[in-house]
Amino acid sequence: MLKYDLEIIKKCANNLMFDMSEKEYQVLLKEFEIITKQMELLGEIEGLNDVTPMTFPFDVYTSYLREDAEGECLEKEEVLMNAKDVLDGQIKLPKVVG
Amino acid sequence: MNFEAVIGIEIHVEMKTKSKMFSSSPIAFGKEANTLVQPLDIAFPGTMPIVNKQAVINAIRVSHALNMEIDHELWFDRKNYFYSDLPKGFQITQDKRPIGKNGYVDVKLSDGSVKRVEIERLHMEEDTCKQLHMADYTLLDYNRAGTPLIEIVSRPNIRSGEEAMRYVEAIKSIVVFSDVSDGKMEEGSLRCDVNVSIRPCGSEKFGTKVEVKNLNSTANVQKAIDFEIKRQTKLLLSGIPVEQETRRFDEMKRETVLMRKKTDSVDYKYFTEPNIVPIRLSNEFVENAIRTCPELANEKLVRYINFGLSEEEATQMLQNRALSGYFEHCLSINVKRAKLYWNWIMGEILGYLNKNAIDISKLKVTPDNLDHLIEMLEKQDLSSNQAKIVFEKMTIDNKDASKIVDELGLKQNSNEDEIRALVDEVIAEFPQSVIDYKAGKDRAVGFLVGQIMKKTKGKVNPAVTSKIIIENLKTK
Amino acid sequence: MYLGKTIEELHELLVNKMVTPFELTKEAIDALKKDTTNAIETICEKEALDFAKTLVDPEFDNLLWGIPYICKDNFSTKGILTTGSSNILKDYVPVFDATVIKKLKEKKAVLICKSTLDELAMGGSGMTGHKGITYNPYDSSHTYRIGGSSCGSASLCAQGIAPLALGSDTGDSVRKPATFSGLVGLKPTWGRISRFGLFPFAPSLDHVGYFTRSVKDSAFVLEVLAGSDIEHDATSSPREVEKYYSLVNGSIKGKKIAYIKEINKGIRDQVIKDRFDYCLDLLRKNGAIVEEVSLDRNLLASLYPVYMIISCAEATSNNANLDGIKFGPRIGGETSYQEVMMKARTAGFGELIKRRFVIGSYSLLRENQSVLFERAQKVRHLLVNKVNDILKEYDAFIAPCSGRIKSEFVENSDNVTDEIDIDKMIIENHLGIANFAGLPSISIPVGIDNGFPFDFNITGRAFEEVNVFNIAYVLENELNLKNLSVIKGER
Repeated sequence: MLKYDLEIIKKCANNLMFDMSEKEYQVLLKEFEIITKQMELLGEIEGLNDVTPMTFPFDVYTSYLREDAEGECLEKEEVLMNAKDVLDGQIKLPKVVG
Repeated sequence: MNFEAVIGIEIHVEMKTKSKMFSSSPIAFGKEANTLVQPLDIAFPGTMPIVNKQAVINAIRVSHALNMEIDHELWFDRKNYFYSDLPKGFQITQDKRPIGKNGYVDVKLSDGSVKRVEIERLHMEEDTCKQLHMADYTLLDYNRAGTPLIEIVSRPNIRSGEEAMRYVEAIKSIVVFSDVSDGKMEEGSLRCDVNVSIRPCGSEKFGTKVEVKNLNSTANVQKAIDFEIKRQTKLLLSGIPVEQETRRFDEMKRETVLMRKKTDSVDYKYFTEPNIVPIRLSNEFVENAIRTCPELANEKLVRYINFGLSEEEATQMLQNRALSGYFEHCLSINVKRAKLYWNWIMGEILGYLNKNAIDISKLKVTPDNLDHLIEMLEKQDLSSNQAKIVFEKMTIDNKDASKIVDELGLKQNSNEDEIRALVDEVIAEFPQSVIDYKAGKDRAVGFLVGQIMKKTKGKVNPAVTSKIIIENLKTK
Repeated sequence: MYLGKTIEELHELLVNKMVTPFELTKEAIDALKKDTTNAIETICEKEALDFAKTLVDPEFDNLLWGIPYICKDNFSTKGILTTGSSNILKDYVPVFDATVIKKLKEKKAVLICKSTLDELAMGGSGMTGHKGITYNPYDSSHTYRIGGSSCGSASLCAQGIAPLALGSDTGDSVRKPATFSGLVGLKPTWGRISRFGLFPFAPSLDHVGYFTRSVKDSAFVLEVLAGSDIEHDATSSPREVEKYYSLVNGSIKGKKIAYIKEINKGIRDQVIKDRFDYCLDLLRKNGAIVEEVSLDRNLLASLYPVYMIISCAEATSNNANLDGIKFGPRIGGETSYQEVMMKARTAGFGELIKRRFVIGSYSLLRENQSVLFERAQKVRHLLVNKVNDILKEYDAFIAPCSGRIKSEFVENSDNVTDEIDIDKMIIENHLGIANFAGLPSISIPVGIDNGFPFDFNITGRAFEEVNVFNIAYVLENELNLKNLSVIKGER
């Protein structure tokens, strides 16, 4: 049985580095109820254990590997032009600890 | 109560490929920040990973050297977490199907016994960006982001600091000799995290494990573990439980210090990387990667012993790949002089390098010229003291050894006829020495050699001279 | 005066020098400025006109020469603002072109506009973009939606402003809006068109797709966009690209076409029902064998939750790069990097997609993966096997795109809902089958009811786009519904 409550959901959101309003969490809680119930029902589908989890839409393989050669890089200005806080050609953040 | 230590080691090796793991940005150190970056490396939306062939070849080589089963199908997974140095918000790694699994490496301990360290897995992944921590802010440089890494995870069957150190040395030797990495712990191209716990001997249960980071030399691996075993034993004996935490080794204090308490383990929400379809490696590809692997230290060791080095000497030479590379060059000139080359490299050359704090790549003396010098020594054209003087001159600009000998007028005279004449001369000058010799005073010979040396300013071969003096004295 | 024409028609005019690329572009940009459907993120006026000016020597064998086109704002366009219709990218200017953008540039097609979408393509209503609702040009009352997530591209193409509009299709994001805007909407086989530069939503389901107003146009565009992109997209297929344009000839004699009973059960409009039967007759008349088949109703009903779990799980990871550090707005956060991320993401993402990220993340947690993510992947596998079983016997299957001709705006319609009407759930989500299985799938206009067009969908075997095009082409010819646009309606 899947375990979820407001606290778990909030922790999940915060682990994803964002927060939501109480109202939004309530909507989400309702969504959790529906989707987890639906997924639990799917556990009873016949033949479920005869198949592997599908990662790609069909069987697809390659043998291609990129040759280890140096390619062209972006200009430093291009690397940094979308960053909002730049110092000495590097992206600046508040001091990272630990 | 007796305790035993349970030690597991995770080693990250930075590969020295030309380009990154999943993009073709060049890899280089010391370049201006953020100049080795392609859109993927800084995780611009819409970029996708393309696997580097050489990184795969490297992983195969190391897996093989570690006696691992090699997966001929490559799958990658995402390890999801947020951190300031992680551009994509996930790291591409191999969680479910590492390229290598179930291996081992045998290491020799100081008591002569051999320890087999079991290895659980070896997988490929990518490095994060570099953070430069200033007083009150941090700067991000994406040049390093995406550098290919190999992670090697041992099973927890290491039992002591020494075993751990030997294990790390063995891994280091393999990645260095196979050309996979610089393997420099002090520069972080080989990084080592150690998990240490202790338990009562005979117990099957694991104790609480402590992770030790920041180990920048193999010696420190041993020191940190030995300290940690002592610390944990003392705690348990005083009835204090060991806490799950991360510690780092403080080199000055020679002890481990607390970095942070471990909270619940992070859930990385692994799942298969959907942008890399499985890659099938042909048997031929894998075999070729193994066959073309540069010779490893243990293979060289056998060869060196066959050339007449002792196991100890051979091992000593193989501590340093560059040095052994120089040695290999010398061997290719005249394998019969293996021992002489060894003596010179481990003696004069290493002394010179250490004195000047340089690496052998900076040594100007070529193996050919060194061989030339050794040849003159072998022919006794030069005394060993003279040879050292010549060598010193050679280090300046690799001038030909014989030219230096000529310039310094050092060439030793070994011509027996000429020496015989000199011997006659000095014996005539010092008749007392004949009497002394007859009286059993052997030092008379040394005295006469000294006189001849004085006369010739040391340019005669002392061994030949002494032989002739004895012959002469015996006839008197 | 050149609006509302197909690529083929415009090409004819261009090579005969009846009109220049510059004039076409100018006219299209003027039309864009009059858009009342809120379909536009950025008009690339200067870039487009400058580029069009350089096009003077017509290329006779290149249908795309000088053709204006529209691009959903989730394709990376170098030097042109690309927002994904999300505040978290509201000022992001990419430094590289998506492969499809590059290819169209090489063919001298002219990018005139970046169009709106549901935020980061994670919605189906056309209501969740950061600029608000995108409306359906067929409905001036703004009551009925155009659908999403490629809402802006659908609207602008249906307005006749450009004959080609790029979109992306993860669940049905091109093929569903195609029905509400009467367009030809194609999503080819997974791996057929490089996704490099497309902002990822769920890579195992994501496809580049696009709208045109004729099947032949669609075939030609595929010829240009398809192909291996081995240095940028490891999932792009190395298979040779077929000459789709010349292979589309309406020959479907002997082709076996199925329709799935359980899907059609959800049709709730007699007009659709009648039209469906009529279309089947047309196909039979052209020599196809058309038969009803059955597919496990429970499996079909699982499409929605399975899609939700897989797409949300992949999405949570794909969008983890949007953290306000390297690009996107820095809302503040002077104390720690965590605060920087937290603030940027809290303010940057809309409500709906945050909830989806949480669902996705939860389903990937160690203790939940087997019941959620992996189970969804297994059900996907089962369903795909069943669909492929049908396609072993049939060349394609045909189905309505929706149970209704038009669909009202409903607040929070993208929320997870407990749909008790299974038939409705199936017919409104079945287009996702082609994403699950990576199959080529096309929506084409089949009727107009009270001024509202609607499409049917044809899905075929992987890499057999030609069959799908040909079946669509037959219907297009027979029904005489080629090149629908609002302009035509007005004329």
